[in-house]
Amino acid sequence: MSTSLPTVDATVSNRSKIRISHLLLYLVLIAGAVLIVLPFIYMLSTSLKPMPEVFATPVKWIPSEWKWDNFATVWREHPIDRYFRNSIIVAVSVTFLNLLTCSLAGYSFAKFDYPGRTLMFGVVLATLMIPLASMIIPLFMVVKSLGWVDSYWGLILPAGTSAFGIFLMRQHMTTIPNDLLDAARLDGASEPRIFGGIILPMSKTALSSLAIFIFMWNWDSFFWPLLVTTNESYRTLPLGIALFESSYGTNYPQLMAVALMAMLPVLIVFLVLQRNFIEALTMSGVKG
Amino acid sequence: MIPDGDRLERMDTTPSNTPYLSPDTLQGLTEPRRSRFKLTHEKRRSLWGLAFAIPAMVFFALFAVYPILRTFYLSFFEYSVVDPPVYTGLDNYQSIIGDKRFNTSLLNTFKYVAFTYIPVLILALLLALALNTKIKGRGIFRTIYFVPVVMSWVVVSVIWKLIFHRNGLFNSTFLHPFGVGPKNWLTDLSLAPDAIVIMSVWKELGFFMVIFLAGLQNVRGDLIEAAKVDGASPLQVFRSITLPLLQPTILFTTVIAMITGLQVFIPQFVMTKGGPVDATLVLTLNIYQTAFVFLDGGKAAAMSVVLFCIIAAITLMQFWLYRSSAYD
Repeated sequence: MSTSLPTVDATVSNRSKIRISHLLLYLVLIAGAVLIVLPFIYMLSTSLKPMPEVFATPVKWIPSEWKWDNFATVWREHPIDRYFRNSIIVAVSVTFLNLLTCSLAGYSFAKFDYPGRTLMFGVVLATLMIPLASMIIPLFMVVKSLGWVDSYWGLILPAGTSAFGIFLMRQHMTTIPNDLLDAARLDGASEPRIFGGIILPMSKTALSSLAIFIFMWNWDSFFWPLLVTTNESYRTLPLGIALFESSYGTNYPQLMAVALMAMLPVLIVFLVLQRNFIEALTMSGVKG
Repeated sequence: MIPDGDRLERMDTTPSNTPYLSPDTLQGLTEPRRSRFKLTHEKRRSLWGLAFAIPAMVFFALFAVYPILRTFYLSFFEYSVVDPPVYTGLDNYQSIIGDKRFNTSLLNTFKYVAFTYIPVLILALLLALALNTKIKGRGIFRTIYFVPVVMSWVVVSVIWKLIFHRNGLFNSTFLHPFGVGPKNWLTDLSLAPDAIVIMSVWKELGFFMVIFLAGLQNVRGDLIEAAKVDGASPLQVFRSITLPLLQPTILFTTVIAMITGLQVFIPQFVMTKGGPVDATLVLTLNIYQTAFVFLDGGKAAAMSVVLFCIIAAITLMQFWLYRSSAYD
């Protein structure tokens, strides 16, 4: 700005240039957003259609008759409520288990010194790079020999801790000042009390990020539940949806109705906790 | 620091029911007694530390460390999952090297990673650059582009299976108006991989956009302003300021993209079952089928080892690149 002031003419043409490029940018962004949203609208519209209108060309976005009973029918004819219950039980238990094991281990690695600590933390970090597919056979055999195939134990316990979670908690807990812990020790607080009374309350943000992640991952979890369940009674929602077709032949309005119902809880949680969601993601992204 | 610590240690030796003792009061305590107390106290503390780590370590030992070691072990055996394993040396590895299906699945996986994630990374970066400005409605755009990320892969795969149906949305909206006849996206040998790639780009874009947006927070606005004042064009600013400062983020996103992409399973399983004629058979799906459908645990273990090695190599390379750039 100090070098030379632009003439009035130049500013005007620059401004109109900026305006045009802004307009173009908006058009591109809106077109992209429409492409992102379209599949969801298609799903919603299909879930409310009578069967013959599903494959009309061009797409019949507004059904001639709103078939609300697609939802009722699918709920009545298929064990959707059981899928929901299983999904909730598994995702909630896994989340609580992870909050406990990851915060305890994270605290241990952040604030204590004992032989084997570095080795154990190294092992934890190393497991970050093991793909699930690389260990499914022995993992399945372990769970089978414990008698946990087709049980909540088999669905929940193998997901009971996570290297990512431990890493996240450790990173957070190293920032808690030692003086605080020493002061509590001075007052005669026991180690478990320090953990419950100081460490956990001071880790609320990290814990809620972890909870969001673990819950979401497990709500969507597919590969492991596919291996460890062999019948309807322990199937979770993703399994129910994926196997919907093969077991009943495809009724697309009903399938879309189930998919919509499965999607709704996560979508609502996301829209309500949007900021935490994205914060959690970037925190893991930047630090991981 | 040192006197403080000294004081703390000394005060720790007081009986816990004494609320407060000044350091002077403690002068009377004899030396040997004090050090013995200190030792057991510290030992007890480390024992607590160890105890806190144990629950997670038990889970890891049982559900991660043992399984991966056992996979390596089993890859040298013939193992039908039902009968006990029989040692066969390198047979499994030799058989997968010559196995056409394994090579196809490996190639399909690499193609999937490249065709999905190169466009995803470029589009996500452009999107992040556009939404990092002060344009109106950027919050709404961010939310919309992020929504597919929170949807489960299974739900998304089911929706797109309908979209790619012969009479589905894709053909009737994007091809029909231009006079192009309907295509069999999911049953045509050459189209099925593309269909899954299109869906994956749609699903993954938002995730990488958010990571890039976070990375762009490290790019200082005043540097860019200064360059603009000096007459740099937007492209020059991007090339010589934004891009170098984004380098760690680009490295991170590339590695995450490769690791995620190499393990892809759900879209292929749900939409095409690996077909038609293995056109969408990816490595993870191949491992799953080899182990649990064809009951060839040894061969599946050898494939698992290959997958593990690829991912470990990428992770270690990231480590090495990250460290070498950090010491620049």
